[in-house]
Amino acid sequence: MNLPEVVGHLRKIAGHDAVLDRPEDLMLYEYDAGIRKSTPGAVVFPQTTEQVSQIMRLASSVPIPVVARGAATGLSGGAISQPGGIVVATSRMNHILEVDVENQRAVVQPGVVNLQLSEHVSHLGLYFAPDPSSQKACTIGGNVAENSGGPHTLMYGVTVNHVTGVEVVLPSGEIVHFGGKAAESYGYDMTGFFVGSEGTVGIATAITVKLLRKPEKVATLLGIFESVDDAAQTVSAITAAGITPAALEMLDGWTLRTIEAYCHAGYPLDAGAVLLIELDGLREAVEEQAEAVREVCLQQKAREVRRAKTEEERALLWKGRKTAFGALGRVSPSYYTQDGVVPRSKIPAVLRHIGNVSKKYDLIIGNIFHAGDGNLHPLILFDIRFPDQLERALKASTEILEWCINAGGSITGEHGVGMEKRDLMSVLFTEQDLDVMISLRNAFNGDDVLNPQKLFPTPRMCREITGPAQNPVLVQEGM
Amino acid sequence: VSTASTATRFASEFRAICGAEHVVEDPELQPRNILGIAPAFAVTPGSADEIVAVLRFANELGLVVVPAGGFTQQHSGNLPSQVDVLLNTTRLTDVEHYDPGDLTIGIGAGCTVAQLSSKVAADNLFFAADPALPERCTVGGLLATGLYGPHRHGYGGLRDYCIGVRFVTGDARKAKGGGRVVKNVAGYDMMKLLIGSWGTLGIITSASFKLFPAPRQTRTFVSEFASAAEAIAFRNRVVHSPLDPICLELVSPEARGLAPGLGSGPAWSICLRAAGSDAVLARYRSELGTAVSREVEGRGEHDLWQALSDFSPTVSERHPHSLVISMTLPLGDVQPLLDGLAMVAQSHNLTLATVGRVGVGHLLAAMWPAAQGEVTPANFVNAISELRNRLPRDVSMAVLHCPTEARDQVTAWGPEPAGLGSMRAVKLALDPRDILNRGRFLF
Repeated sequence: MNLPEVVGHLRKIAGHDAVLDRPEDLMLYEYDAGIRKSTPGAVVFPQTTEQVSQIMRLASSVPIPVVARGAATGLSGGAISQPGGIVVATSRMNHILEVDVENQRAVVQPGVVNLQLSEHVSHLGLYFAPDPSSQKACTIGGNVAENSGGPHTLMYGVTVNHVTGVEVVLPSGEIVHFGGKAAESYGYDMTGFFVGSEGTVGIATAITVKLLRKPEKVATLLGIFESVDDAAQTVSAITAAGITPAALEMLDGWTLRTIEAYCHAGYPLDAGAVLLIELDGLREAVEEQAEAVREVCLQQKAREVRRAKTEEERALLWKGRKTAFGALGRVSPSYYTQDGVVPRSKIPAVLRHIGNVSKKYDLIIGNIFHAGDGNLHPLILFDIRFPDQLERALKASTEILEWCINAGGSITGEHGVGMEKRDLMSVLFTEQDLDVMISLRNAFNGDDVLNPQKLFPTPRMCREITGPAQNPVLVQEGM
Repeated sequence: VSTASTATRFASEFRAICGAEHVVEDPELQPRNILGIAPAFAVTPGSADEIVAVLRFANELGLVVVPAGGFTQQHSGNLPSQVDVLLNTTRLTDVEHYDPGDLTIGIGAGCTVAQLSSKVAADNLFFAADPALPERCTVGGLLATGLYGPHRHGYGGLRDYCIGVRFVTGDARKAKGGGRVVKNVAGYDMMKLLIGSWGTLGIITSASFKLFPAPRQTRTFVSEFASAAEAIAFRNRVVHSPLDPICLELVSPEARGLAPGLGSGPAWSICLRAAGSDAVLARYRSELGTAVSREVEGRGEHDLWQALSDFSPTVSERHPHSLVISMTLPLGDVQPLLDGLAMVAQSHNLTLATVGRVGVGHLLAAMWPAAQGEVTPANFVNAISELRNRLPRDVSMAVLHCPTEARDQVTAWGPEPAGLGSMRAVKLALDPRDILNRGRFLF
């Protein structure tokens, strides 16, 4: 079957106006928020689970590669198509199917925007906890695929900690259900396995999520430091004092000046670094912890600790944090965001290393990150029009991530592996670790139709599928 | 294991792998039976590599391997069709990494929960899992069974704070998932698959956990109610309030006798445990108001919560002919399920005792013969099947303990979980010859 025939079938499945195949339309679907590009052969906008199932059945029979795509805010290339492949865009599956207040759950389609869900249930005193910086645009389907985080994951965990059930279309087209509304159930935790599988196991078509009660009290503090080192030491000191903030973010001096010029969040222009610290919960506990955090900051040589007095002040402090990437877009033609993780006690050391890498490759590297859980986001500035700059940026990035791995950390805390970090997987994991994961992928996606060339190092893609079933009982029961 | 000569060959192979002193042969193994079936060999490997060698051998010869830790849950699951090798993880106790400043620890699967807890307590840290029999329960067994205690309410479950795992798959591949940092999404989440897999996918050799700062002080507020409905109404009040307790446990009238300090009588109790400063505890007092009949602290508080964690083994010890069922469910189903349990127990002449983490949706129900009237194994068998028929959608149930006489007629798991076909695909990918715990889990 050639591409025009595939497009014809897609139109029959999803509707004539639900498929794009003109080059000028496809251009809009060739990138995500990372730095890679690849042009798909067609984009289809299914509206129902049944249509997704038919699309997968078609794609598997051709076969032609498929990738699911939400808002494409991802930073690891997870939603980038293979050249000429099919993009299944979830933007028309954007309904909140159910809000179950008694059980504190919502059931949503994958194209529902993260922040929209929280806004939708706000009047009930509830919210959806995962809060990526892109939450105004990113979809819950994308959050599930990448197991997204955000500043408040320090206390509340990443997406997987908030998903209890998922309806999935497998590459075969089969529709399966994992989990449900209960927090856990007996049997393998397929929901937990599916979340974060980066679109390589199936496409989520309905997602059951936890809704949390909004905290009674929120305190937001800004600790201002003369140096990055002082701020980094303070992060460890806060943890050592037995305080678990809801969020604990660090911005270095260069980054906060860039943001301040862009959105006037009220950050001090002459600081070496700031910590943005949020505490939430019971009023009495928050007040005590806020006081304790202030004391720790001052002991660790903070120049000043400010506390947001009003909701407007709080919103402004967060606006600076969450619009950081937009601010950087103004000062550099391109930037590359990394997502390394280190044990929390290694934060001062890794920041010194990043400083050295910046000098070595002669690139500006800003730091704005989730300090409380050791999740770094070095922002490497470069100009993509100069190939040697891109190359230096990639080298600098690899050097930083290798340092993270050597320190006992990881190459991604919340953005996923995708295309960009797949080759680093073999530094983080052994051949056999990956072999086990690949045997699981092959159990569902053995022909690699769904999101191929992602997550695992490239040379492995040609490997044979693991052997057939050998247990007679399992075979008999339909496997 | 058919003949004496093959048995000798197997024994010498295991001795070559693990060392002679770590291999035991039948008949000394009768006390270590699995639901009445004694294994032919027990091996206690000293490393993941030794486990790889044992499993490779077992795969070649089609031997069924049962992983074992502290033997606190081996009475659970279906009757195995065959048990050849009992594989103890108790020698795997090394600390892989521990830096109190990171609030993480990586530790061998054979370490007990009590050892782990006391190790980190020295640094004012806290391991949140509070299973039954922590002095015996191992880290590996804790993960494999995925069971939890009252702390589940405030600290989440193992899936929330287990951050890394090392294991050997059924087909003898040494692998890992996750790592040692608290935030990490690289690769498939192997922890999720292994937690609650009852040893059917791989043998866990070590795991890493997120730790928490130890609470400086705690207090338990006990409230009493005339009916389950009133107790659940109180639960709803707490769940919708700003309060943030670390435990919220329902205790039925018949279960009170199993927990010291709760007293006796026909009342339903809710035990709410709060952590925080004097000001925080004062806030709890004012929010809960007259609903609280008593406060428990210190030694009494510790003993009360340990007794609630130990509910299941205490029941089986006091009532050898008893049934213990564990159920997970959405919050709104707790009340109808309690009603259903009461009806089923009564109609089969069984006494019912229930405890549960009613703020997150987990109930443990125990049934034993009522003082009056006759009870046969059929009463238990019928009670279980009747209960299964009544379960609302989204309720999941496991029989953790069952009277020996009824065992062969009872399925431990069910109703069938959503996604069973996909679970089979996972099993095939990691244990294609089905050598791990064959017959004891879902398929």
